[in-house]
Amino acid sequence: MKSAGTRTILFVALCAALLLPAWAARAAAQTKPLIGNLSAAKSLGSPSAPITIEVFADFQCPQCRLFYLTTTQQLLDNYVSTGKVYLVHHDFPLNMHSHSHEAAEWANAAAAAGKFEAAEKALYEQQDTWGPTGQIEQVLAAALSPADMKKIREIHTTQLAAIDASIEADMALGNSRNVNGTPTIFVTHRGQRTMLPQGGVNYDLLKQYLDYLLQH
Amino acid sequence: MAAARSAANFFNTGKGRYLLLAARLILGGVFLYAAYAKLHLDGQWHLGDYNFLFALAIDSYQMLPLWLVRWMALILPWLEIALGALLILGVGLRWVSLAMSALLLVFMIALARAALLHLEINCGCFGYGSVTPRTELLHDSVFMGLSLALTAGAFLSYRARRAQRL
Repeated sequence: MKSAGTRTILFVALCAALLLPAWAARAAAQTKPLIGNLSAAKSLGSPSAPITIEVFADFQCPQCRLFYLTTTQQLLDNYVSTGKVYLVHHDFPLNMHSHSHEAAEWANAAAAAGKFEAAEKALYEQQDTWGPTGQIEQVLAAALSPADMKKIREIHTTQLAAIDASIEADMALGNSRNVNGTPTIFVTHRGQRTMLPQGGVNYDLLKQYLDYLLQH
Repeated sequence: MAAARSAANFFNTGKGRYLLLAARLILGGVFLYAAYAKLHLDGQWHLGDYNFLFALAIDSYQMLPLWLVRWMALILPWLEIALGALLILGVGLRWVSLAMSALLLVFMIALARAALLHLEINCGCFGYGSVTPRTELLHDSVFMGLSLALTAGAFLSYRARRAQRL
């Protein structure tokens, strides 16, 4: 005959055994989605687009800025918005740039707040402003609404470890693909991934290549 | 005159012939490999779209108008195959080696310009295995030396053979 105390302990233990996995799953779900979603949050367009373009970029790199200003904007207008291209950003901050990792952190915080596109635009357009001074937050604050900025600051403060893990994951992916400079661009079509030559990517030439892929 | 005759005779003797043959095989091999590396990227053949990818590489030099970039991207790998194969086979040796020297000179001018402008690009000469313009300039200097020696050898050898016939 078991005592009431033993029964209580057994009941509590049973409840704990049943609830613990659910708690663990919930706790994991609270931390993991930020990392999982960050990759999607840094991507533009439809994941089911026939072409995926992945850009490994450093926000402080002048060539990345040039690529963004001359090519990305036109890609967004003509291929991403029309569902032909899924544009994926991967962070690849280089050690040679003093503020690029910090910029990537802010961009990821903005991505988690659903404001990646605006943050990316501000960071590249104002690269000359924050590049020498490191005043990234001020540049973003000037480009985004106070409400968005409040949310981004909160995410930046509370989720920095997860953000850094996401950046590290992007860099590990780049290293596994022999990325050694920025911007490095991969175009995937029908499961075939092709790395574009390094250097400036001319929009007109890229357009011809994308049109060729879309026809085949 | 005597030196030229002596050099001409050298390229028609056993040793000279072997040196010419070695230079032909090395340079021809380099040109064939360069073409292969432009058509076969990342473990896959790109016969349908190599020209788009190579055009991006040529354009990164910021040197030529787009119409010329597209044209060069389309024909350069096949020109390299033709020159490399003809050189190895020894067909039209004087003109093939001369054309190769001229092509290498063009490459070297583009590489030197990219190095001087500090362009952060890969030379694009050997597909994904390409190096910086500065490093490739050193490689091309060696190839150019070899190509010039081959051109001189081919012309001198031809001259000596013609003189013997007369």
